[in-house]
Amino acid sequence: MTSHDVREMLNLSAEGGGPRPTKKQRTSIARQNLKGLAREVQNLGGDNPIAIVPEISSFKKRRFGSRKPAARWEMRPFRNSARGDESLILRHWRRKTDVQPTAPQPEQPQQNGQPSEDSKMDTDNGESKPEEMEDSSFAKFNVKVDVPQYSEDQYNSTLANNEWTKDETDYLMETVRDYDLRWPLIWDRYDYRSKEGDAGTDSSTAVVPASKTRTLEDLKARYYEVAAKMMAVQRPVQYMNQAEFSLHEIMVNFKPEDETRRKKFAEAQMGRSKDEAREEESLLLEVRRILARTEKFNQERRELYNRLDYPTTETTQDLSSFKTSNGLHTLLQNLMTADKSKKRKSLMGTDGQNTPASAGPSAPPGSTPLAEQRRESIAASASGHGHGHGRNDSVASTSDARPEKPTKKGAQAPERRKLTEQEELTYGVSTHDRLPSGPTFRYDRINKILTTKSNAQHARITNTLNELDVPARLTMPTKAVVDQMEHLLVNIQTLLDLKKLSDKFDAEIKLEKAKKAEKEKANGGPAAQPAAAAESATKGGGANGATTKENGAANQDGKKAGDAASSAATTAKPAGGEGTNGDKDSSSKDEKSSAENTATDGTRVNDEKAAAKEAKDSTDGVKQETGTADTKEERPSSSGGHNKRSASVLSSVSDKSAKRQKK
Amino acid sequence: MAQPLTTASVPTDIYGGDEVSALVLDAGYCQTRAGFAGEDVPKSVLPSFYGSIKDTNAASGSRNVFGEDYIFARPDFEVKNYMSRTESIVEDWDTAVQMWESMLLDRLQPERRQTQPSKNGLNDGADGEGDVSMEDAATSAENAENAEKPLAESPLLMTEAPWNQGKAREKAIEIAMENWGCPAFWLSRTPVCAAFAAGKASALVVDVGGANTSVTAVHDGMILKRSIQKSHVGGLWLSSQIRSMFDSCDPKIEIRPSYMIESKVPVDAGAPSQAILRQLNHDLHPSYRAYEDERLLTEYKESVVEVWRGPGRYSNPGNEDLVKTQPGRIFEMPDGSNQMWREQRYRVSEGMWDETAQLPTASEEERITKAQTIPELIRACLNAVDVDLRPNLLGNIVVTGGTSLLNGFNDRLNNELMAMYPGMRVKLHAAGLTTERRFGSWIGGSILASLGTFHQMWISKKEYDENGAGIVEKRCK
Repeated sequence: MTSHDVREMLNLSAEGGGPRPTKKQRTSIARQNLKGLAREVQNLGGDNPIAIVPEISSFKKRRFGSRKPAARWEMRPFRNSARGDESLILRHWRRKTDVQPTAPQPEQPQQNGQPSEDSKMDTDNGESKPEEMEDSSFAKFNVKVDVPQYSEDQYNSTLANNEWTKDETDYLMETVRDYDLRWPLIWDRYDYRSKEGDAGTDSSTAVVPASKTRTLEDLKARYYEVAAKMMAVQRPVQYMNQAEFSLHEIMVNFKPEDETRRKKFAEAQMGRSKDEAREEESLLLEVRRILARTEKFNQERRELYNRLDYPTTETTQDLSSFKTSNGLHTLLQNLMTADKSKKRKSLMGTDGQNTPASAGPSAPPGSTPLAEQRRESIAASASGHGHGHGRNDSVASTSDARPEKPTKKGAQAPERRKLTEQEELTYGVSTHDRLPSGPTFRYDRINKILTTKSNAQHARITNTLNELDVPARLTMPTKAVVDQMEHLLVNIQTLLDLKKLSDKFDAEIKLEKAKKAEKEKANGGPAAQPAAAAESATKGGGANGATTKENGAANQDGKKAGDAASSAATTAKPAGGEGTNGDKDSSSKDEKSSAENTATDGTRVNDEKAAAKEAKDSTDGVKQETGTADTKEERPSSSGGHNKRSASVLSSVSDKSAKRQKK
Repeated sequence: MAQPLTTASVPTDIYGGDEVSALVLDAGYCQTRAGFAGEDVPKSVLPSFYGSIKDTNAASGSRNVFGEDYIFARPDFEVKNYMSRTESIVEDWDTAVQMWESMLLDRLQPERRQTQPSKNGLNDGADGEGDVSMEDAATSAENAENAEKPLAESPLLMTEAPWNQGKAREKAIEIAMENWGCPAFWLSRTPVCAAFAAGKASALVVDVGGANTSVTAVHDGMILKRSIQKSHVGGLWLSSQIRSMFDSCDPKIEIRPSYMIESKVPVDAGAPSQAILRQLNHDLHPSYRAYEDERLLTEYKESVVEVWRGPGRYSNPGNEDLVKTQPGRIFEMPDGSNQMWREQRYRVSEGMWDETAQLPTASEEERITKAQTIPELIRACLNAVDVDLRPNLLGNIVVTGGTSLLNGFNDRLNNELMAMYPGMRVKLHAAGLTTERRFGSWIGGSILASLGTFHQMWISKKEYDENGAGIVEKRCK
């Protein structure tokens, strides 16, 4: 559609006449330029030439331009040098090469049939051409096997065999050569007949059985025998090179019986029933699985050994050093230390990988408080999940654990990444020396303390707990709470012990006093003075005198408990004796305290603190005596860590007990 | 077109090919195939049946016509076959030569007998005798040579049944060398060729052909003679089974090939035919009728018959009931009668696998024994070879032959072999293309004859002249 058409449609015929021919010309010019473009497409542009530059494909032109004259092919005769008779000349199509020098050849391709025949005639008759006749490129693939050769004499001297005649051996060798050592074929076609029968019947050779049936093994055995012997004849065994020798060995060692047996097995294998086949298949599968599993096992075992790093070197190299008991002992020591460090390491390693979730539930073991104290472990769950009332406790527990941690770690596992207390808390990491097997309940620890005591003691402890408003059974036995509870119980125990002693001493003092009074009454007294002094002291002490006396008694008792725990009998001695050191000491102390101190609450508390400290020390002392070796190594750190807390805890406890005593 | 070749080498070199314009001839009982080596399909496929026309002029009293086109309903006519049905080897050598010449010379090389227009005698009718005789001397000499050596340029590769024997083989080379003047000749066994067609040098070849089924082990390009198994379970046997099945149908089904039908009317399934039969005013030789019947049955086999795929035999309980529920196939006879075939189409083929399931046949020699069923043939074949070869053979089973194209044949064969040799690896190699299956041995021969390495094998004319026909026994093992 041109612009003219549009104008026509719109009835704009006014200017139609003039420009039309020019336009037409223009478009026609454009059309000429843009060859290969459809007219309709070209017209789309109207007056303006289309901005499409058609790509002129020179496809055909170039091809025709650059084309060489068609390649000429010719039927070229060739011979095959691999053939037995080289006279057979076959012809195949080949590109005609320019270097073809001969004159009669170029005429060939014009006619198919006759010239070729002529050329063949030529090649057959004239012997001038054969050297330029090409040889088949496949001739080189013709390979023949080497079959041992032997002369008549050699046969008679070395190869004679009762089973085989020379004739048949020859036949065998020939067959082997014919079939290129392909034994199934040799056996299949082996059809030997002795000379006399061989004459006329060559037509029906296929199915008629041989006069003497030879098995494949027979044939092989004979052939290998001949081959090996001829090899040895040509070159004696000792001069053979490696390959020849091994070949010779193989042939000499061929055992037809074994082959036969093997084939029987194979045949039986083929004749299996379906069930047998299935069973075997499943067995094979099982075997494969077992093998795969052992592989895995071995690998795991190797890994384990690597991890354990068992001391192979010393033990395997010389045993003499371990023949004495001394040597054995050192070995044991070595192993123990090695084992200890290993175990620790591995345990720590696994611990480090634990998530808080898995570390939290791992309850501290229920054991005696003594053992428990040896073990430092950090309660993770309680502090981690922030129970309202457990917070302070947990803070206290971590704070007391703080000083010991780094030293431990620094000493034993320096390579491990150090966690700060805060981190250990948040991750819930806790370290244990040894964990008893199986889970335990925390309150079992508390129960154990209680149940090991006698009934009377138990009752007293519970009474004390009642006084302190602490329930005997913890409502929330978190790690921190249980630790505190344990301490509390221990302290209660000590307190009760001391109370018992003080009661005892009180009674004795009273008794002694009564005795003294009796004596004074009787003698009228030279010993009145000290008694009077004591009386005055007590009186002068006033209201708090009782308490101080109490304290003093407690003090003294503490000391006494310190050295007299081993021998209870000594308690009676100082009292019973006529003014022993202890008695005097205590009295003098009492006097001092009463004299110097005004009875204020604060000082009293201080006093009590000191007393409690002493008591604590004394208990520690007891422990020291009775304790085992490991407690020794634990003690310094633990006691150091515990001191503060025990003091503060005890203060409240002893406060209360003092109040009670006041009453 | 394609880019001009820059090198002088031919592409076929890559595949080890080196074509020397050889011819390949593969003769079977039902078909004879001929073509050029290097091609994938024979150029000329003719039925081995030929028409023998009574001709009082001819010396023997008859002349022969070859090819389907010439076999039609004519009075003075007998349909014969030059092959032996039981052996699938040549029986009538005179006719065989005629037939092969008609294929190799007339059909493959039609220009060969055509001389130049000026010399062929067609244009010189008007001229006097003298004119003709002028050039005759040269032409006739040429023609005589041509006629004497019609195949002087083409090596010829022929196939033969594996059980073919010495005399027949010698006869073949004699014809090729003396009658046709072949420069080179080779005789190859059909199983070897079929294995080559499947690309294997070692294979167990199951050839289910028209007249015979053979199972042969091929090792490294050679048959193992002891392993050859042969049975007449093939296409013709299957036809006889179909005949007896037709006979036993309730309204007996008549086989009326199309030449008998003048016109037909469509009828309902199962209804009797209403076709008008053609009235021939001459008698036909029964052999022609048999030939036409066979063609009809072949069509029936191709379109209806199916092999029960297994597992197990078709006669196992439940199988037939299952088949009855499956959709059948409708076959319309040339006379218009048609019927749905369900379980019958499995029954006719079951005898191949299970001799107890075969239908009763008219003649006793048609009956097969257990040893003649296909699985038993394979078993016997394997038992006759070295035990070390058996696993390899089972893994390389080549199925070929036209009758193996029956639906489900390969599945059944696979099932039977799996059941027979449990735990062994059984693998069937059956060409997917119909032509490759039908002409398997010809294709193998075509491959063989175009191989460059094969050229050293040919028996040359010179060798034949020196050694006589016996050389074929020595060379073509």
